[in-house]
Amino acid sequence: MRPLVLAVPKGRILAECGPLLARAGIMPAPDYTDEDSRRLRFPTDHPGLDVIRVRPFDVATFVAYGAAELGICGGDVLMEFDYPDIYAPLDLGIGACRISVAAPESDTPEDPRRWSAVRVATKYPAVARRHFAARGIAAEVVHLNGAMEIAPGLGLARLIVDLVQTGSTLRANGLRETEVIADVTSRLIVNRTALKTDPERVGAWIARFRSAIEAQPEAA
Amino acid sequence: MDDLAPPHPALLPTGFRDLLPPEAETEAASVEALMGVFAAHGYERVKPPLLEFEDGFVRGSGAAVAEQSFRVMDPATHRSMVLRADMTPQVARIAGSRLAGSPRPLRLAYAGQCVRVRANGTDRQVPQAGIELIGADGAAADAEVMLVGVEALRGLGLSQLSLDLALPTLAPSLLDAGGFEGAARAALAHALDRKDAAAVRRLGGGLAPLLAELLLTAGPAGPALEALGRAALPGPARAVADRLGEIVALLEAAAPEVRLTVDPVEFRGFRYHTGVAVTVFAPGRPEELGRGGRYGSGEGEPATGLTLFADAVLRAAPARAGRPRCYVPFGTAPPVGAKLRAEGFATIAGLAAGDAAAEARRLGCSHVYDGSVALALSSAR
Repeated sequence: MRPLVLAVPKGRILAECGPLLARAGIMPAPDYTDEDSRRLRFPTDHPGLDVIRVRPFDVATFVAYGAAELGICGGDVLMEFDYPDIYAPLDLGIGACRISVAAPESDTPEDPRRWSAVRVATKYPAVARRHFAARGIAAEVVHLNGAMEIAPGLGLARLIVDLVQTGSTLRANGLRETEVIADVTSRLIVNRTALKTDPERVGAWIARFRSAIEAQPEAA
Repeated sequence: MDDLAPPHPALLPTGFRDLLPPEAETEAASVEALMGVFAAHGYERVKPPLLEFEDGFVRGSGAAVAEQSFRVMDPATHRSMVLRADMTPQVARIAGSRLAGSPRPLRLAYAGQCVRVRANGTDRQVPQAGIELIGADGAAADAEVMLVGVEALRGLGLSQLSLDLALPTLAPSLLDAGGFEGAARAALAHALDRKDAAAVRRLGGGLAPLLAELLLTAGPAGPALEALGRAALPGPARAVADRLGEIVALLEAAAPEVRLTVDPVEFRGFRYHTGVAVTVFAPGRPEELGRGGRYGSGEGEPATGLTLFADAVLRAAPARAGRPRCYVPFGTAPPVGAKLRAEGFATIAGLAAGDAAAEARRLGCSHVYDGSVALALSSAR
């Protein structure tokens, strides 16, 4: 039987995944935390489970298309892509941060209710559009993949919508968090069809992750 | 406008494709094989049109696919028309109007192409083949359409099937009973849809323990039914859960090889269903092969049906051997070709004299007529 595949995100959350995977009894091959390793797919000590390491946004895509049955995915990614084939059964409590709107410190406060449209730099076009649309404002999205913080200063956009962890990057670039769109944490996600057609195996891994987070002392 | 090169003539709009040999023939033959099983069970074929007036189509169950429908203006009447995105609403319309006087239960079958707006890169043209059983309530009717569907798929070589049974009205009726409204209801429904147990516990109030338990019961039918039996359900929810138990018993008796799973709080994608709904999967395949379930047809007449997605079915089914192709050299007497065709060959008539074997290979034939018999060509295509 083909091993199940768990997709984990490279970068910020990868380090936090380690202890969680350990508590769930998953020991990937040791080079999996080595971001320099060219390997992308890693066996684990469990013959029925492999781990793949992909970009955070791609975790959702792999799971949505059934290429990976399970994934660890930020709530921000799930807000951006509303894939119908993903279930998000567990809040893993790691990778806590928020999606926020930020504006230049130097901006004189203005009444956003007067705006018809606003230009926003973000890597979350759908989240940004939805957020401003709910306030009656059309967001003109400038889609960037990084370094959003310098966009307002260079006149590329008036605001940014980005992931904020401590706010220090914003402050270092002369920005101020003006609104929190949502607090997010990482989720265990599963492919819908895999859960329907292989409920024993997929369900068993969900249960292991559930006991892993319940065993964890509630972190701040 | 800003493109320097003209568009390539073979480029099709996203989500549309040409089916080539042999897939096009395989699809047609498979759909006919499905329809043959439906007909053998007394389901009579109807053929609704591709386009309908929008107000008629979206009035009934078509409302569920309204936002997935392409619309055009009828140049003759200036009325808005929809290109069908689903055939079930059309069959329900026929049953409630032109066939309103036909005796019930009414068994209808259909096959045809539907078009959906979905712009996410998946196929937008969806071949459907399905059955509707109208004017009958009860577990026997629900189980019948599922079993006929299973038999039709088995005929295409799909022996391993998995049916996921859902109760799309259960969650809404629990939310009604719990008094959830507005934003609180939307948030809880979203959490249920995502199967987010933590959020369900947080948002569910007094319903939280029950909902969380039901979430966890999704899986093999046996344990799920036991959990549903234990759960304290309000009246309407209890009735649909009991119906589910009867259907599972009928399916297990008639098709023990089919894997049955139950997802009590699933409502994703079931917009017009009023009772037990079903999704058909083939293990190891990432897509649904079909969907169906109980709904109200027309003015609420009890109905149940099953729609198979022929493209997904074909991708899941084992490859079917094509017809052997025999090259018949130029000048061969016509009765020879007729005999070969009667034996099951496709005959490829030579239009000019020449090296028959070489020509047969060039045209991808498996056989060549050597003057007395169809000779298998040694080299593979």
